Amino acid sequence: MTAPSDTSPAASLRHALLIHREQALTQLYRRAFPSVSRHVLRHGGSAEDAQDVFQDALVVFYEQAVGETLTLTAAPSTYLMGISRNLWRHELRRRARLPHEALPDDPGPLAAEAAPETEETSFAVLDYVERLGVRCKSLLLAFYYFQQPLTQIAADHDYRSVRSATVQKFKCLERLRESVRAVFRAETIEY
Amino acid sequence: MRTELERLRLIEEQLLNGPAALSAEDWQLRHLLDGELAADTDAQQRLYQGLRLAGRRQLRRELRTIHERLYGLPTNPWARLWQQLKPW
Repeated sequence: MTAPSDTSPAASLRHALLIHREQALTQLYRRAFPSVSRHVLRHGGSAEDAQDVFQDALVVFYEQAVGETLTLTAAPSTYLMGISRNLWRHELRRRARLPHEALPDDPGPLAAEAAPETEETSFAVLDYVERLGVRCKSLLLAFYYFQQPLTQIAADHDYRSVRSATVQKFKCLERLRESVRAVFRAETIEY
Repeated sequence: MRTELERLRLIEEQLLNGPAALSAEDWQLRHLLDGELAADTDAQQRLYQGLRLAGRRQLRRELRTIHERLYGLPTNPWARLWQQLKPW
């Protein structure tokens, strides 16, 4: 994949996350985590809380960056610090209300996006994704979540062409749909 | 591609607002002609929501690995002690 035509910081960051995800995430982690960790430890959290909050913030950041909804007016580490502070404040409030419950597995603001009635089905789909097999799972996540370009997906997964990768992607999606069809049917009958 | 796969593609273009997405009127017309289109579209939308959750889970796994690599306990006992005692 060639360099982005848009040279804004957000576009460069998006490009780095799409092409060299591990390297770009490691760099962000190294730059931003120490400040976030200090903040969480100074405000009543543990090392584990700091890790959880920062990783939730990175998930939000990643989705905004690759989804092209990120407008960077400061350094990425400053932006990550801002998201982490908000998430930690939110978590402290949640703990004050429910003192005996642990930090949820999924970041609150993200989980809240799904309507309650579809959330259960989404979790059912999640189980079937895990059972798909390494190759199909990797192909589907690369395209639908990590939003990698099909040229890169074809190269990474050893497909001869973008067309072959596209056909395989739809075959994997079809397999997933067949697996979860029973869940949807059961839900429809309940309605 | 097979007809079934073409159908998945048609719905995907519409849901993800792809370059080959139909106009609202054409999509409406398809719905009138195809009684199963609404249910299939809803099912496919849920697949994407599930894939999003699976993607987040995968990303969290990758982030935990990065954390371990950057801040995990080293083999040297003195370095390990420092890692555990340092205030960040």
